[in-house]
Amino acid sequence: MSTHGHSDKFVYHEPGLQHQFSDMEQQEESVSIGMWMFLVQEIMFFGGLFTAYLVFRSKYPMAFAAGSNHLDAFWGGLNTIVLIVSSLTMALTVYYAQKGNRNLQVIFIILTMLFGATFLGVKAIEYNDKYHHGLVPIAGLNLRAKGTAGAEQHPEGKPCWEVAGHSAEPAAEHQYVNPKGEFEWADCSLAKLAQDEGYLTTAEQIGYFSNGELDGNKFRDKVRIFYYLYFVMTGLHALHMIVGLLLMTWLLWTAYKGYYNADYYMPVEMSGLYWHFVDIVWIFLFPLLYLLGRHFLHAGH
Amino acid sequence: MNAQDAVLETGYQSGIPPVNYLNIKTTLASWLLTKDHKRIALMYLVSVSVFFMIGGLFAATIRLELLTPASDLLETGTYNKVFTEHGIMMIFFFLIPSIPAVLGNFLIPIMIGAKDLALPRINLISLYIYWFAGALALYGLMVGGVDTGWTFYTPYSTTFSNTYVMIVGLAIFINGFSSILTGLNFIVTIHTMRAPGMTWFRLPLFVWAHYAVSLVMILGTPVVAITVLLLAIERVSRVGIFDPSIGGDPILFQHLFWFYSHPAVYIMVLPGMGVVSELISNFSRKKIFGYEFIAFSSIAIAVFGFLVWGHHLFVSGQSPYAGMVFSFLTMVVAVPSAIKMFNWTATLYKGSVSFDTPMLYGLGFMGLFLIGGLTGLFLGSMGLDVHLTDTYFVVAHFHYVMVGGQVIAYLGGIHYWWPKMTGRMYSEFWGKISAMLVFVGFNLTFFPQFLLGYMGMPRRYAAYPPEFQVLNIFSTAGASVLGIGMLMPVIYLVHSLKFGKPAGDNPWMLPGLEWRTTSPPPLENFATPPVVTWEAYEFGEGSGLDLEEARRRAAAPAIL
Amino acid sequence: MQTTNWVPLFPEQASTFAWQVDALYFYLVAVSIAFSIPIVLAIFVFGMKYREREKYVSGAEIHGSMVLETTWSIIPFVVSMTIFLGGAIVFFNQMTPPDDAMTVYVVGKQWMWKMQHETGQREINELHVPLGRTVKLTMTTEDVIHDFGLPEFRTKADVVPGRYTYLWFTPTKPGKYHLFCQEYCGLNHSGMGGWVYVMEQRDYDNWLSGNVSGQTPVEMGKDLFENKLGCASCHAGGPQQRGAKLEGVFGSTVKLTGGGTVVADDNYIRNSILNPASQVVEGYQPIMPTFKGQVTEEQLNALVAYVKSLTPGAATNSPSPASTAPSPANTAGGTGASANNMTPAKADRGKQNAAGSNPNTPSNSNSR
Repeated sequence: MSTHGHSDKFVYHEPGLQHQFSDMEQQEESVSIGMWMFLVQEIMFFGGLFTAYLVFRSKYPMAFAAGSNHLDAFWGGLNTIVLIVSSLTMALTVYYAQKGNRNLQVIFIILTMLFGATFLGVKAIEYNDKYHHGLVPIAGLNLRAKGTAGAEQHPEGKPCWEVAGHSAEPAAEHQYVNPKGEFEWADCSLAKLAQDEGYLTTAEQIGYFSNGELDGNKFRDKVRIFYYLYFVMTGLHALHMIVGLLLMTWLLWTAYKGYYNADYYMPVEMSGLYWHFVDIVWIFLFPLLYLLGRHFLHAGH
Repeated sequence: MNAQDAVLETGYQSGIPPVNYLNIKTTLASWLLTKDHKRIALMYLVSVSVFFMIGGLFAATIRLELLTPASDLLETGTYNKVFTEHGIMMIFFFLIPSIPAVLGNFLIPIMIGAKDLALPRINLISLYIYWFAGALALYGLMVGGVDTGWTFYTPYSTTFSNTYVMIVGLAIFINGFSSILTGLNFIVTIHTMRAPGMTWFRLPLFVWAHYAVSLVMILGTPVVAITVLLLAIERVSRVGIFDPSIGGDPILFQHLFWFYSHPAVYIMVLPGMGVVSELISNFSRKKIFGYEFIAFSSIAIAVFGFLVWGHHLFVSGQSPYAGMVFSFLTMVVAVPSAIKMFNWTATLYKGSVSFDTPMLYGLGFMGLFLIGGLTGLFLGSMGLDVHLTDTYFVVAHFHYVMVGGQVIAYLGGIHYWWPKMTGRMYSEFWGKISAMLVFVGFNLTFFPQFLLGYMGMPRRYAAYPPEFQVLNIFSTAGASVLGIGMLMPVIYLVHSLKFGKPAGDNPWMLPGLEWRTTSPPPLENFATPPVVTWEAYEFGEGSGLDLEEARRRAAAPAIL
Repeated sequence: MQTTNWVPLFPEQASTFAWQVDALYFYLVAVSIAFSIPIVLAIFVFGMKYREREKYVSGAEIHGSMVLETTWSIIPFVVSMTIFLGGAIVFFNQMTPPDDAMTVYVVGKQWMWKMQHETGQREINELHVPLGRTVKLTMTTEDVIHDFGLPEFRTKADVVPGRYTYLWFTPTKPGKYHLFCQEYCGLNHSGMGGWVYVMEQRDYDNWLSGNVSGQTPVEMGKDLFENKLGCASCHAGGPQQRGAKLEGVFGSTVKLTGGGTVVADDNYIRNSILNPASQVVEGYQPIMPTFKGQVTEEQLNALVAYVKSLTPGAATNSPSPASTAPSPANTAGGTGASANNMTPAKADRGKQNAAGSNPNTPSNSNSR
């Protein structure tokens, strides 16, 4: 919209130099500080969620362990490796951009995108699994299954710590019945274990119990908080991943057109920063969500 | 190049340059798609003024209702919506953007000698986000509004309120990004776009203040963003972490909310302090006393401001030991503000003080922020806070700092830089009248509320016991005076756009870099990029101002 | 309790630590004045003395002074620390009840306070306590966050759902003192108040034994209906009406939800108070709380007598409950029951119900 007026007479505009900057160095410094500030604010954004996680995990560690046990650490671990490798390919993209090697840039961007897409695909698999097992915290968003007439998910009178509903070994007698698509969790055995061995937290001693008895519904509510945080945190992360892929698409296009070379590769480096940030957030999410209470799994529960 | 040369270069000493940023292109698209920080600032000016009037209408309604003890003007439910929306409009859509988005956007590049902000397109996006969020909030108001209080405490807001919490919450969430991008832009700009010779310690204190504010915007706003997002999710899905009936913790909401909302008040007041530093120094024609101390105080307030949020939770059930830590830190954060107050006062000593309208606002700020800040100490002292929290004492305190502080500084800044932005001078007579009306009206409105608060009158009450009525009547009377005082600038400032005397480059003959270019400035701010060889607030020989010439020009008729 | 006619500026001191809070307040006022006066004076004096004599003359070349900066950093810091310490000491006092406290349980709910003494007495919106005895309140809420505020005692505490919070005081002066809800809680937040009655030991013992002198059953019932039990907040008309209007009910045939009718006789009224969910009038929500255990037989009789009196001809004359004048037994500034139903019934009241806040059925919310 604005005319450059007289400034064109005085300044040679390098390609890619925006008009408000006097030289490339200033532009690059600005863009770099800008991207770092943006990432700092993203850290604070996720920080609120990590705080909520911290509060509830300290209050209800057994519920969190139970919930975490049902997450498949295989997929989570795979995703971790996928992202780490994608960070490598991203770093190589920057390296080859710096070198001015157009072909290798493009190849590595494509590889990065492939790994990113793989990550999202795995997440889709995981979310789908939750959908099929009644682990989506919002009522109505799970698979609705009427079940055959008379089939009981929990035989009358069985206390929640003797139900093998959501433990590591699939129970033969468990049939998925969920007419309203609600969040389902029947197994409070970890709470019983902690009660028997005396390490329930103060909050747990109130939160899991009704009238002195372990209450499966109350335990379920706490596990549901774990899954709520799981979905919000990984969902927000996946959203950032999608944005990252869009960014990569743009980068692919511009790299293909040969925009980047030793003198000008800032956009690639900035995109790399963003990508590494998304990777690092996952590095924190993975252990906090997937690796809680793994010793319970091996103890035969 | 010194100031004199810079002025002469343009050839327009006293009039409005024929080509400036306002008239270089006049299509609608040239405004809506502009990357010029000055035009963006003006569009923000119009927008925040609209939200200010809406918030002001709600305020008038509140004061009218509170004339009588019974809830007779409005249904109680409506009153609850009115005070909620007054808070939301004023805080999120007026106070937080006001000085940074209007004056900061306009002046920071000019004050540092740059052509524009570092990231002009980000600036434009920030404006669009603000418009979108504002429209969404207004839509929420129109379809029914919210009645949770601007603080959205759970579980009332998640589970019990029958109003449009999600829509308005979403609007606040989106608006946060406007704030974040503005802050990000300022930090980058101040780091990388300073003209040659413009070292950190030659920067005007207005710029230091905005640097501190930007730190808070970037670090604090994302937390409220995620909190409001979680609130909206919980509202819609009935699952979450804030409602105890489903296992959540309502105090967690309060902690997360106030972690941002306390620094937010510093987002509001720090830019105001930056403006006041400019006003006091320039209208005393003397370098500000203790420049480094004021600069570092701004940073200190920004940093310590993040550590005191728990003083909003003293009676909430928070641990008393945590409360002690927060109370201690609250006292600590008061000290930098005190330092500033002393420095401003000392600046007047042996100055050459003129009492133009902007200076009246600057002095008004000092008096009112003094009371506001001191009453903050009352509230930071735990034993006293138990009695005063959630009463009108708190309402009086925050209005003293936000209106008596921030809004008065904003008005002062608007009046001070109006000639630079528009090229016109407003009527000094009406300026002085309205400044005085605002000061008197404000005190009359809010001082009685301190007394009401100590008596125990709770806040957010549509109906109250009759013994509180007399003080409420005083308060409403004051509000009418205040309202008139605030409406007057709208009239005479708009009037000046067409009929005001052309101001010339430097109507007050001041050494700041913004006064060394035309009024209004050219598109890229300076005819030739400046090289700074003088200190900040240099009124002596080094400033390069030719005062004899200026006196001669002031006596001579304006050349148009 | 304010008995003066002039503008009140200061609440009474009615508890043992009230003077401490006031002392802190006065100390802070003194500190404020001590800081404000020099600064304001300086602004005036400097402004006058150093006003601009000739246009564009500069001020003196003074940059700063390390000595001054240090001084006016340290002194405010020290003063603020004294304020912190004073506040912390008073706060600890307010948070630490003595061991010999008598406990009263308090439950807040939208929009009333329910108290229960250890000796069994239940009260609504009122709390009777003996003079000089330490009272500790153990409190919670059934729905949203409220706050139990007692200005004359200089204390308050939030009540939070899902946990207990505490508050204590030792009253030092007999009288009637305000109770305010001091955390915004929805529609009738301003009406969710009441009174704390501090009584001499003898009077308190009388009250404990339920001795209320000189009222006829209808008067007693009216007092219970409008003030003590909060019935009027839902049954007395105005925009908050959620319950059936009771004028003319007694003796009539009432249609119930789910079909069926019943004649509204003594038993019907009694059952509606003790077991409201069993016989809900058609067109109304089943949200009335039960008063079982909260009313004595004598009080039940009084209530039935009062409702009877609302049907002209059925009993002795008494004013209609829809009137906005509080009964003479209560002074102005009454409790939540009558204070906020001053607005006359409006034509669009039905719409008000649909659009207005109905906190007991949150699942009906269709707004976001």
